[in-house]
Amino acid sequence: MSSNHGHHHDHDHDHDHDHTHGHDHPHSPPAPDDDDGYDRYEVLLQTAIRELLDEKGIITAAELHEQIDKQDSLSPAIGGKIVAKAWVDPAFKKQLLANPLKTINQHFELDIITPLELVVLENTPTVHNVVVCTLCSCYPRMLLGIPPAWYKSLDYRSRVVVEPRKVLAEFGTDIPDSVEVRVSDSTADLRFLVLPNRPNGTEGMTEAQLADLVTRDSMIGTSVARQP
Amino acid sequence: MTERKVNDIGGLPAGPVCQDEHPSTLHEKRVDAILRILSGPKLEAFSVDAMRRAIESNTEEDYRNLGYYDKWIRAVRDLIIEQQVLSREEIEARVEQLRAKYKKVAA
Amino acid sequence: MTAFAIRPGQALPVGAPVRVRKHPPEQHCRTPFYLRGIEGEITDVMGCFRDPSLLAFHKPGLPLRVLYRVRFKQADVWPDYSGSPKDTVVADIYDHWIEPLAGEKA
Repeated sequence: MSSNHGHHHDHDHDHDHDHTHGHDHPHSPPAPDDDDGYDRYEVLLQTAIRELLDEKGIITAAELHEQIDKQDSLSPAIGGKIVAKAWVDPAFKKQLLANPLKTINQHFELDIITPLELVVLENTPTVHNVVVCTLCSCYPRMLLGIPPAWYKSLDYRSRVVVEPRKVLAEFGTDIPDSVEVRVSDSTADLRFLVLPNRPNGTEGMTEAQLADLVTRDSMIGTSVARQP
Repeated sequence: MTERKVNDIGGLPAGPVCQDEHPSTLHEKRVDAILRILSGPKLEAFSVDAMRRAIESNTEEDYRNLGYYDKWIRAVRDLIIEQQVLSREEIEARVEQLRAKYKKVAA
Repeated sequence: MTAFAIRPGQALPVGAPVRVRKHPPEQHCRTPFYLRGIEGEITDVMGCFRDPSLLAFHKPGLPLRVLYRVRFKQADVWPDYSGSPKDTVVADIYDHWIEPLAGEKA
């Protein structure tokens, strides 16, 4: 079914490393999508499809731009504000955990419309949550925007369910054995946002200051919120 | 039928997680946007489930070696043909036209 | 939202011990291989959803399936699990892929 375009990337699958990652050896695999050469088959294919859909009025160029702008407007900053508010406002947090999307839409005057369900996973002193989609790359895009490449990687998807603590260690995150590491595998129409623990020493900080401590990775669970 | 599909990789051996990041390229954003609109409530050309099924129909080698957005745009291609939104012939013809056009530009 | 309401008595209760079935996967399957045959417990009943294995072929995905969140002890999933004995993994599983366990989990 696929055209013979002769574009197969040679990947050097060299995994004999026991350090986390450096920048002078090949990773598994390189990111061929970085190579947006106009003559690459998949870029030609995207251009061809885009042009044909526009010519037939199925998706106009204006509609495409609007969709790209909409996607660009989403970022972990939104998640950070939600987490910060949950840290300072117990009533909001309770509503957030019970009915996440409705609460977020109301309080932040967003208009997130999605057929999917958002679930907020609260980290506690005894449970640390981390999210993965082993089967593809399901991620709360409607809130956080596009997932990082590592979240979509075969390595993350394969390993975090079976050796989560080792993977977390690669992210510089060490969870004591007394705390349960709970991996959520996003296999259906639910999307997960981790509510990280509020760091110590943040009493009296404003919501905006607190939101600054909330990293994207802390809302996926590979990291914790930053210290002030 | 095999027990484990090509995408069903939880627990398989793998390497260190590469944490390098790059900002989304325009190509990647366009692939994403095309997919979102085609599978969205206005057009409903196909479901996200169908997208996943199309991606899962890759061979193991292709699944592992093709880039993420490469798999997506190929799946979009397969589904718009399957759903008769566009024909294979017109897509392939346009790809070849574009390839020839860019060769001329480059020369 | 794709979630439809559960009818009374339709779903297994939270806390119910269950086992993931071990049958061959559908052409589009959302029950990971690593969980098949493993025993866990229901932690949430998420509502009724269309069947993704049918949606994948442009069908309406009916009848609706109950979607559960099921939690498993990592030590039960992986023979050589090297993390903490407290560690768990939770997955979202449709009703036709789980069976209730009779009696107490060992």
